[in-house]
Amino acid sequence: MIMEEVEDPITKMIQPQQPYTGQIFQPTQTFTPTTPQPFYGNSFEDEPPLLEELGINFDHIWQKTLTVLHPLKVADGSIMNETDLAGPMVFCLAFGATLLLAGKIQFGYVYGISAIGCLGMFCLLNLMSMTGVSFGCVASVLGYCLLPMILLSSFAVIFSLQGMVGIILTAGIIGWCSFSASKIFISALAMEGQQLLVAYPCALLYGVFALISVF
Amino acid sequence: MATTATPAGGSRNGTGPEWGGFEENIQGGGSAVIDMENMDDTSGSSFEDMGELHQRLREEEVDADAAAAEEEDGEFLGMKGFKGQLSRQVADQMWQAGKRQASRAFSLYANIDILRPYFDVEPAQVRSRLLESMIPIKMVNFPQKIAGELYGPLMLVFTLVAILLHGMKTSDTIIREGTLMGTAIGTCFGYWLGVSSFIYFLAYLCNAQITMLQMLALLGYGLFGHCIVLLITYNIHLHALFYLFWLLVGGLSTLRMVAVLVSRTVGPTQRLLLCGTLAALHMLFLLYLHFAYHKVVEGILDTLEGPNIPPMQRVPRDIPAVLPAARLPATVLNTTVKAVEVTLRSH
Repeated sequence: MIMEEVEDPITKMIQPQQPYTGQIFQPTQTFTPTTPQPFYGNSFEDEPPLLEELGINFDHIWQKTLTVLHPLKVADGSIMNETDLAGPMVFCLAFGATLLLAGKIQFGYVYGISAIGCLGMFCLLNLMSMTGVSFGCVASVLGYCLLPMILLSSFAVIFSLQGMVGIILTAGIIGWCSFSASKIFISALAMEGQQLLVAYPCALLYGVFALISVF
Repeated sequence: MATTATPAGGSRNGTGPEWGGFEENIQGGGSAVIDMENMDDTSGSSFEDMGELHQRLREEEVDADAAAAEEEDGEFLGMKGFKGQLSRQVADQMWQAGKRQASRAFSLYANIDILRPYFDVEPAQVRSRLLESMIPIKMVNFPQKIAGELYGPLMLVFTLVAILLHGMKTSDTIIREGTLMGTAIGTCFGYWLGVSSFIYFLAYLCNAQITMLQMLALLGYGLFGHCIVLLITYNIHLHALFYLFWLLVGGLSTLRMVAVLVSRTVGPTQRLLLCGTLAALHMLFLLYLHFAYHKVVEGILDTLEGPNIPPMQRVPRDIPAVLPAARLPATVLNTTVKAVEVTLRSH
C-alpha cells in the first residue's frame, strides 16, 4: 500500500480517503514468496517438446529426402528457407557407416571433404547468384543430396566397383546427386539457365566422395 | 578513447580528431568507394592513415607493456588494485582498436564481391570457349580477344585435380609427406597461379598487352587439353598413344595460347622469349603429370597375373579388350572376398 501511495500519486489523488497506515522509514516487505510447486509445474508444462526445441522436424526432413530421391520432381524453392543440419549429419554418418562395413575407416575424410566442399560451393554460389546464400543452406542442400551416394557405398560392401558395371553405376549416382543438388539450388536462388554451371562443381564434389567409396 | 588512454598516451591527443574524422569518412559500411567530397583535407591517402594507426597502436602497445611493468612494481608495493584495473582497461582498448581495424581491413580488401563480374557466364559461352581453346587462330597482326572470366579456368583446374586424384588412386600412389588430395590441389593450383604470374611478369618485361586476369583465363582454358589427354591416358596405358596425344592435343592448346600472346607482343626477341617459355612450361607440365602419377600401374598389373611373374616390368602393356570368362567372378567380388578366397585356397 505504501508503494502504491508513494509511486502512484494519481491513484492517491483519486482515492484521497485512504488512511495512511504504512511505515515510511521501515522497509516494507515487497517480496511475497509464492509456493514453488505451481511455478515449476507451469514452466514444465509450458516448455516446448524436445524435438521442436532442437529444431528437428521429421516431416520436413522426409519432404526434403523425397525431393532428393525423385530427380524429376520439381523442387519447391521455399523448402530450403530453414537451415536443417540434422538430416545432413545423419546422412554423413550413414555414409561413413557404410564405408566402415566395407572395411574403410574414413569418417575423417568424409567430414573434411564435406566441410571444404561446402565452403567452396558457398563461395561459388555467392559469386554466381544475384541474391546471396547462407552457409547453412548450402551445407543442408549438399548434405541431403549425399543420399544416393549412400546407396553406392552400400553396393560397394558386397560388389567391387572397379569393373565396367561399377564405373557406369558410379557415373549414374554422381549424375543423380549433382542433378538433385543443382535443381534445388536453382529453384532456391532463382538462377535460371545456369543449372549446368551449378551442377558441374557439385559433380566434382560428389566425384571425390565416389572416389572414397570406390577405392 | 583519448580520455581513458591519457595516462598512457597523453601526448597523442593531436591524432584523436583525425582518427575520428577518418572514421566518419567511411560510408556505406566498409565499401571500397570513398566519397571524395566528404574527405578531410588533412588526411592523405588511406594508406597514410592506416600507417598512422599502426604507429599509434604500436606506441600504445609499448605503453601498455610499460604499464604492465609498472603494474608489477605496483603489486610489489601493494598498489595492485588501481594499476591492475588501469592496465586491463588499456589492454581492452587496444584489443578493441585492433579488432575494429582488422574487421575494417577485412571488409575492405577481402570482399569477395570484387570477383563477382568474372563469374557471370552462360553455359553456352563456357562451351564455346572450351572448344575455341583447342583451335589456334593464325591472325597475329592485331590483338586477339581473351575472355576475362574465371569460372571456366577454375572449373578446369578442379577437374584436373579430380583426374589427378583418380590417376593416383588407380595406380595406388602413396604420398609419404602429405595427402593425395593436398598434393593434387597443390600441383594444379600451383601450376595455374604460379605459371600465370611468371608469364605475366615476363609479359611485363617484354611489353606485351595482357593483364593478369587475361593471363589466368588463357592458361586456365589451356588446361582443357591437359584434362583430355590425362583422362584418356590414365585409363589406356600405352606410351605411344600418350606421345601422340601429347603432341597433338597438348600442341594444339599450346599453339592457341602462343598465337594469342604473339598477337599481343611486338618484336621478335620478345615474342620468342615469351612464347618459348610458355610452350616449354605447358608441354613439360603435361609430361610431368603423366609420368609422375601412373608408372606404378605396370608393376601391379603384372603381379595380379600370378605368383611366377618378376616384380617390375617396364614394358608397355596392352589391356585385354575382353576379359576371359573364367576370371570374371574374381574381378566382380571386392578385395576382401578375394583375400578370403586366397587364404582358403592356400590352406
